[in-house]
Amino acid sequence: MSDIRFAAATEEPAAVRRLLIGLAVAGLATLVAAPLLVVFAEALAQGWLAAVTALGNRDAQSAIRLTLLIAGISVPLNAAFGIAAAWFITKFDFRGKAVLITLIDLPFSVSPVVAGLCIVLMFGTNSLVGGWLVASGHPIVFALPGIVLATMFVTFPFVARELIPVMIEQGRAEEEAALTLGASGWRTFRTVTLPNIRWALLYGVLLCNARAMGEFGAVAVVSGKIRGQTATMPITIEMLYNEYLSVAAFSLAAVLTLLALVTLLLKTALEIRHADQLSATHRH
Amino acid sequence: MTRRPLIHKSPMPGLGLSMGITLTMLSLVVLLPIGALLWKGATFGLSGIWETVNRERVWAALFLSFRLSLIAALFNLVFGLLLAWVLVRYRFPGRRILDAAVDLPFALPTAVAGIALTTIYAPNGMFGALAKEIGWKIAYTQSGIFLALVFVGLPFVTRTVQPVIEEIDREVEEASATLGASRVHTLRHVILPMLAPAALTGFALSLARAVGEYGSVIFIAGNIPLVTEIAPLLIVIQLEEFNYDAAAAIGISMLLISFAMLLLINLIQVWSRRRIGYV
Repeated sequence: MSDIRFAAATEEPAAVRRLLIGLAVAGLATLVAAPLLVVFAEALAQGWLAAVTALGNRDAQSAIRLTLLIAGISVPLNAAFGIAAAWFITKFDFRGKAVLITLIDLPFSVSPVVAGLCIVLMFGTNSLVGGWLVASGHPIVFALPGIVLATMFVTFPFVARELIPVMIEQGRAEEEAALTLGASGWRTFRTVTLPNIRWALLYGVLLCNARAMGEFGAVAVVSGKIRGQTATMPITIEMLYNEYLSVAAFSLAAVLTLLALVTLLLKTALEIRHADQLSATHRH
Repeated sequence: MTRRPLIHKSPMPGLGLSMGITLTMLSLVVLLPIGALLWKGATFGLSGIWETVNRERVWAALFLSFRLSLIAALFNLVFGLLLAWVLVRYRFPGRRILDAAVDLPFALPTAVAGIALTTIYAPNGMFGALAKEIGWKIAYTQSGIFLALVFVGLPFVTRTVQPVIEEIDREVEEASATLGASRVHTLRHVILPMLAPAALTGFALSLARAVGEYGSVIFIAGNIPLVTEIAPLLIVIQLEEFNYDAAAAIGISMLLISFAMLLLINLIQVWSRRRIGYV
């Protein structure tokens, strides 16, 4: 019989394979796919018109504008930080490098709520700095600067983490060659380094942006939740949901979900097309 | 022997600029705010912190947060290993989509995840109604919190273990099989030890994320004091009452417990690396 196939010694039996694949699919379906579908189902529960009308609401519009503004400020700032930190860490040898990398990663192990608390304690009206800033008419907490700071805190490591491994792997030889040939430092960065790290940079910026637009815990603490002023999209979703305005809440949630899906799509495309220029952990 | 210089001389340009930006932004955004919290803690000392934390409601919240986070991270450790194995070793239609779906919890805002999970697992929701048939209430109980914590920590183990599985030399498995080991024996004694350090890293990340999680939990938790009230929520409640000292005390205790746990996991990792004999 020609269709007998012996199982390879380094493979699990077919039945086990099917079982494991089944478990993986079932787990992701109940945990990941179901919430995704529910967001759109609930948003469209009363038809397209209701969903679009909810998005046209004045508070929803101002929340969308605020979230775009916050991402527009904090993501470029964190990208600039990421590039500077990666350059400093990979192009120079100095003592305490490991400590510096640990400190940059610190926000990942701090609860967003604690991050917000830190900013309130630092810049709130009761603090030394905050009291003076409020008195001079520049409040940080319960205002835009506080939300930007909180967002930057939680997204702080994203870009640096993507760039550092890539720049370590690429080494310094190309930059040294450019410098030897007489290029200025800035020109070397722009024409040699930047083209080498652009996909990793884009990857980091994508993740940073998704988190910046969706951050809830840290922003909830510092925003004061003033409707039309300091309520970002996630905060507005919470307020609408708690008022049982399901369609309105899920319509805004659907916009953020679409953003998440686009982020995943672009991220996967980068992993497939530019795998060799990303941090090794993203290569499949 | 001469002392190592603080910064080695280098022909690379931009030392001052890149160091300046890095240290300034790190201080302004991360170090000073954390310093403000620690300073606040220092002003009322360990005994002051203890006084605030040593109340039934705070203990219950801290215990709940760390206990459920630990269980959720353990679940994610097992399920994450399974997912990584399936995604790297098996070929089946839809594998790419499955692979991309693993990252959704990273990309989806936690508030969105929170209201979506609550809607599904509430007693009148899609899965919640099914669970209710067998008398299991998910949303507004500790099961709901567990579910939300599993969701937010889902990608970590898979993403740290996947590259390691890809690197495994098939010849090692073949050698093990030739020597008469069963597949289960090979997986248990050859493959698993190789994955352990990466899996532990993923476990630690998942745990840290779960402990601090707020957005996805508060909707599904029900937030009943002593029963389903998590520690981050307690901080928010204290802040809303302008009780900054209590909020700071709980925040510092959370930081201390988290760092102690991460340190412990790092030690286990060092130990397991040494035992397996590679770095």
